[in-house]
Amino acid sequence: MSGNKRIMKEFADIQKDPPPGCIIKLLNEEDMNVWDVVMDGPADSPYTGGKFTVQVTLPKEYPFKPPVLSFRTKVYHPNVTNDERGAMCLGMLKADEWKPPNKIAEVLRLVRAVLAAPQPDDAVESGIAEQFKNDNKSYEKVAKEWTAKYAK
Amino acid sequence: MSSFPPPRHISQAGRSHARGHSLAPNFTSSALPPSNVRHSSSPNAPTSEMSLRGMSRLEGQHAMDQSRFLASKARVKNLNPPVDMRLLDYVAPYDGNLMCPICRCPFVDPVILTECDHCFCRDCIRQTWSAQYNPLGPRGDCPTCRTPAKLGLRCATSKILVNILDDLVVKCPRSEEGCPAEVKRGEVQDHVNIYCGYTVVNCPSDDCELPLRRKDMPKGCLHHGVCCFECREELQISNLERHWQSSCPQRTINCEFCDVQLTFHEREQHMKDACPALSIPCPGAAFGCTSRGRREQAETHSRNCTLARLAPIFAAQKQRLDEQEAAQKAMAHKLDIFQDGFASLQSLLCDPSDGAGLTNTQATVEPPGRNHRGRSHTMGAYAGTAEPLDLDFPTSSAQWSPSASTAPSRPAPNPPGPRPRDLPEPYTGDFDLAAPAFPSHSMTQEMPYTSPLHHLLSMHESLRDEMSRISAALAEVDGRLSMQSLNENMRTREEITYLGAQLAGLSRQVHWLTSSQLQRQQPQGAGARPANGSASSNVSDMTSVEAAVNAASNGLRGSQRMANGGNGMRRGLSEEGRTKL
Repeated sequence: MSGNKRIMKEFADIQKDPPPGCIIKLLNEEDMNVWDVVMDGPADSPYTGGKFTVQVTLPKEYPFKPPVLSFRTKVYHPNVTNDERGAMCLGMLKADEWKPPNKIAEVLRLVRAVLAAPQPDDAVESGIAEQFKNDNKSYEKVAKEWTAKYAK
Repeated sequence: MSSFPPPRHISQAGRSHARGHSLAPNFTSSALPPSNVRHSSSPNAPTSEMSLRGMSRLEGQHAMDQSRFLASKARVKNLNPPVDMRLLDYVAPYDGNLMCPICRCPFVDPVILTECDHCFCRDCIRQTWSAQYNPLGPRGDCPTCRTPAKLGLRCATSKILVNILDDLVVKCPRSEEGCPAEVKRGEVQDHVNIYCGYTVVNCPSDDCELPLRRKDMPKGCLHHGVCCFECREELQISNLERHWQSSCPQRTINCEFCDVQLTFHEREQHMKDACPALSIPCPGAAFGCTSRGRREQAETHSRNCTLARLAPIFAAQKQRLDEQEAAQKAMAHKLDIFQDGFASLQSLLCDPSDGAGLTNTQATVEPPGRNHRGRSHTMGAYAGTAEPLDLDFPTSSAQWSPSASTAPSRPAPNPPGPRPRDLPEPYTGDFDLAAPAFPSHSMTQEMPYTSPLHHLLSMHESLRDEMSRISAALAEVDGRLSMQSLNENMRTREEITYLGAQLAGLSRQVHWLTSSQLQRQQPQGAGARPANGSASSNVSDMTSVEAAVNAASNGLRGSQRMANGGNGMRRGLSEEGRTKL
């Protein structure tokens, strides 16, 4: 009950003051636990100009358990799995790292920061991480292509 | 009971509600239920006259009342669980520092962690550290700074924080049901338990166990049915007020667009027709105008909008188009029926045309009278003469019927009427085939015709078509027949010419022989007479040979004549060969 109240409060707050470049909606009106976030690709990154849909699923136990993020738009990034789940590997979203005081707005800010500055040492897609480290030019090229292709 | 007037009832309720409010503190301060008050406020006898027996009886009653009071209090507590502080709505915005980082509400029973001095609600930190969510078990790190922490004995926060929190003003948790109260958070539990008119309590009636809102208590037991004065819906009195506020179709509401007062059930009509402030689409919306506007603006717009002015014309056009399409559909259906009919007719005709090849030979032995009509026409002339053939068709069936009955290959003409189509039947080439076939066809086709005249006309038309087809078939048969006879004639003619040529060669040889013989005889006759006898015998030999040859040639001619006679019927067509002969 308190979780639901907190989600409602957080949703109201995030509507009032959304993180930069994010538009947040509910996926459907009845369910407060699934948020639909449309995130602009951060400037000065190969993702500029793209619109990435991220689905944030809040568990029943929220805020005591971390939310689950998944990219609905395909994105060429070392920290985002290249499958239909599109899970992003973020330290703060791990179960033992999650702290109940964390807010979704903070999570989204972090997501955007990671999108702008990939962390190849924390990568889930090792191939892309290798490319990012050794051949940054071609990584940027592919990322731009994917952005143009999928994130319109 | 059913004619209980609601308006009066409600005003009464309002009054009694106010009274209930003022009385409520008295009830609770004396900690006595209403039944007790009634009891104590109606002393039957002055205390001075009270005997010991009376005292004991009174005490017994008092104890009974008290136990009943405690039971009812427990029940009320069940009906009204303690207020969840986190679900309260705060009237004024509060300082963000008073917010628990976990539940994002102003702290409820705040605690301070011993190591890092971070502050949380007691429930929140317990829940965070509970085994369900925390692998470390019931104690762990500070959720904010991850300092290992625990809840010590002296973890309670200072009184000043608690006081600040308790002074925050909240709305009554029953504000959605209508309670207008706004109280300090520290007093909200008391408000709900003691003052709030919307708190559910036990019915004051002794024999009624149903819950009732506190403000309705002075009205006594309300758990009997009534009928709404306006809409005649049956419901309990305790629900009457809510019914009036939210569900009665006769309740008064304000139009959300134009502030006109109207009853609920008029709302739909008002929205559809009258509300001047409602945004309505242009009348030409169906034809592409995207303009919308308030009703009064929409009228001026529709005077100026081309699409709106053309809308009736468009509508008429559309209707006409629809009608045409429907008519076309009907026509297509009719056409299908016709095509089916003709297909079946054609199949009827196709079967016999296969048989026509077989019956060709029979046609050669037909009586001359029957063939006369067909024979008089050459193949080329058939197309032109098909018309007159059609015209006298109706009589032909009757005309030919006697001969038809005598002809072995022909069935007797059937009386007109439906005839089973699958009956195997040799093709006759006669016109009476059509007559029995058609009525059955027309019977299946009767539906689409509007009048008998139309029916007859269409039948006539189809008969005419049938006639032309049959005559064409006839012409084909005749052509085939004449070709056959021509071929036969040719062969015979060739044979005859061959025989004639042989005969000519033979006669030439004979002539040569005779002439050479004669030449030989003449010198002999002039030179030696005695050879005369033998010569004359030679001559007689010659003549006998010649006679034999002549007889042979005559026989040949005779055979040719016979052949000609056998082909007598075809003689007209083989004039060329005859002239050669």
